[in-house]
Amino acid sequence: MTWLFVRLKLSLVRGGLRGDAGKQAGFVFSLAAALLAAVAGFALLSLIRLAPSGVALDLVAAAFAMFAVGWIIVPLTAFGLDETLDPARLAVFPLTTRQLATGMLAASAAGAWPIASLAALFGGMVALAHGPGGVLLGVPAVVLQFAFCLTASRLVTTALSGVLRTRRGRDLLAVAAIFVVLLVQLPNLLVNRGLSGDPTRVLASVGDVLRWTPPGLAAHAIADGGLVGAAELIVVAMSVVVLGWLWIVALRHALVRPDASTRSGGSVRRPGRVSIGRFLPDGMLGAVVAKELKYAGREPRGRVNWIIALFVTVLITLSLHGQDGRAGLGSVLGPACMAAVMIGLQAANSFGIDGRSLWMNAVAFSTPRDMRTDLAGRHLAMAVIGVPMLALVSLFAALVAGDAVWALVAAPIAWGVLGVAMGVGALTSVTSPYTYPDRLNAFSGAAPGQGGQAFAISFATTLVTGVLMLPVVLPVLFGLTWWAVLAVPYGVAAAWAGRRIAAGVGFARLPEILAAISRPT
Amino acid sequence: MADAVRTQGLYKRFGQQTAVGGVDLVVPRGSFAGLVGPNGAGKTTTLSMVTGLLRPDGGRIEIDGHDVWADPVSVKAHIGVLPEGLRLFERLSGRELLMYGGRLRGIPMDEVGKRADELLKVMDLVEAQDKLVVDYSTGMRKKIGLAAALLHNPGVLFLDEPFEGVDPVSANTLTEVLRRYTASGSTVVFSSHAMDLVERLCDWVSVMNRGLVVAQGPLDDVRRGRTLNEAFLDLVGARGNGEEGLSWLGSPA
Repeated sequence: MTWLFVRLKLSLVRGGLRGDAGKQAGFVFSLAAALLAAVAGFALLSLIRLAPSGVALDLVAAAFAMFAVGWIIVPLTAFGLDETLDPARLAVFPLTTRQLATGMLAASAAGAWPIASLAALFGGMVALAHGPGGVLLGVPAVVLQFAFCLTASRLVTTALSGVLRTRRGRDLLAVAAIFVVLLVQLPNLLVNRGLSGDPTRVLASVGDVLRWTPPGLAAHAIADGGLVGAAELIVVAMSVVVLGWLWIVALRHALVRPDASTRSGGSVRRPGRVSIGRFLPDGMLGAVVAKELKYAGREPRGRVNWIIALFVTVLITLSLHGQDGRAGLGSVLGPACMAAVMIGLQAANSFGIDGRSLWMNAVAFSTPRDMRTDLAGRHLAMAVIGVPMLALVSLFAALVAGDAVWALVAAPIAWGVLGVAMGVGALTSVTSPYTYPDRLNAFSGAAPGQGGQAFAISFATTLVTGVLMLPVVLPVLFGLTWWAVLAVPYGVAAAWAGRRIAAGVGFARLPEILAAISRPT
Repeated sequence: MADAVRTQGLYKRFGQQTAVGGVDLVVPRGSFAGLVGPNGAGKTTTLSMVTGLLRPDGGRIEIDGHDVWADPVSVKAHIGVLPEGLRLFERLSGRELLMYGGRLRGIPMDEVGKRADELLKVMDLVEAQDKLVVDYSTGMRKKIGLAAALLHNPGVLFLDEPFEGVDPVSANTLTEVLRRYTASGSTVVFSSHAMDLVERLCDWVSVMNRGLVVAQGPLDDVRRGRTLNEAFLDLVGARGNGEEGLSWLGSPA
């Protein structure tokens, strides 16, 4: 029965690859990456052996703990990609909970990445084991640590599977996942700014915290050897058993709990709140602006783009300031323009966010003028959020750099960059549209097979925007600061020209655009 | 008077496979027309091309005498569409979706609001009007999709599988609305698998099989004294009568 689950997982992987060259290439790449990660992880952890024994112990304990955290977080963001992970799909088969539990555990251990992480974990044994006693305890310690990762990961996904199957749960998780990725950058920033003090002291305190957690115990068991090590291993084994038992309970619960995915969400109309629609022009333009603004707030993919742009810019501003004391106009202009480009890049595939629902526009557009109005509405909505945001970013960067007046130069230029990026983006939106994946994915912003195109579009838009901005930015950098005033009309003109050309091209290509942005993901 | 829909030699292939191989579809004005055929017969591809959502590889399409691809201005304002797969703007509420569709077509805001309220009431969606479409059930999505297709009072309405996955109560609402609509002289073209429903509603039937129209005309001419289901199975060639094999299936004597 356990083998059946492993074979099911393998045939699901095989089935997913059938007939699609892009997916096959991706799979080969993933295999190579897993192999590389296994070798590199093993080598890196083994190298810790060269460190003083106390430091080595804390390092391995921290590494083991990071593996466990990774095992918990990664499957959460990938939930729904792997059929063997969802217990609800197996609910109709006559299986006991124990069969289900061992089978699913084995299935999740099968695969390139789990095996790679097992291999890397063995590096920890090389780093810490002293003499045959250490190896004798090291092998079970690593296996137990691996089992701990697996059961902890299963427990969390199963316990949350009810939440993950609702739309709201997935929306929340999508935004939360981005925050996790960004928070990882925080220690980096702190180290950059020299706030952390002595790194070995930090490591020691981390080691103290982890000492009595199962990953820490596993690491210590390898180092200690002998009876103490064996006792520590028994504790780890017991924690795996407890997690496994909790998981079985959660699984049993998940199998009989009603599927929450059909439970409907609440109303979006809040009493007493003034609708944005009241301030918008009547007709098509107003309709598009209202729709785009609602999407920016309600669609997690839209929300995430804005959050990332803001967060990354703030990080860059702070770290620019931290590296050296020298601050100039460049260190204000840089982050402000980067924020403008990151916001503007959303316009490089304007129709992508609509996806398959764009037909509703396609059946209503009867002239290129309609398409122009649609693009104008999208740009206007982006400006409604982007212009104040860029003003704030410029002010923030100027304050960090030490002179608020610089914001008066940086903000107009950032607005100009946004306008030019939207104009360039209008052209790429109609000539080279691509599908956004339904689910957020940290590794690719496009449907399978379109990842390269998505990257090329972003790159080309950034490059062309940069070149087009040179006539405005260069004089400012050479001291002609009042020149910045010209950036805004320049950007508006560029956006207008981009829309004008794009509408003609795009209207003739409507069926092709529709096909390109509604590929299966 | 021109037919509501007339295609000549409509042709589309995807890679090696010919999805639609020269379809001559005719629907007279004012008819309630059913487009039936087995899975993969080319119904959805045909409807997508007729409504201007998919570019044909060959052939002509006229709606009320205007070429869909050469003269979109005259055509697009006068057709309503409910495509397959219920692809709607998921993050708008039902009411917002109707408002968006109406304003996209240039109808004044007050008028859109009035029509949207009436449509929501008829479709029994008043309670759900402020919920996001992403949270709607299949039946609710079909109803809000139909409401969006009707909002600008089109002359010809194209519906791809409007009754699939819809509960009997909602289906009854849908058919009542459509009946009233055709009674006024407007045209409905819808694809379906449900023969008894087509038989009950339609006065004109087009039968498709393997990318071609194999029979077309007034309902009584197509069924010729049989039930539509029997006529359909004859036309497309019944594939296997379900009697070979399966000797183990059923309760032991």
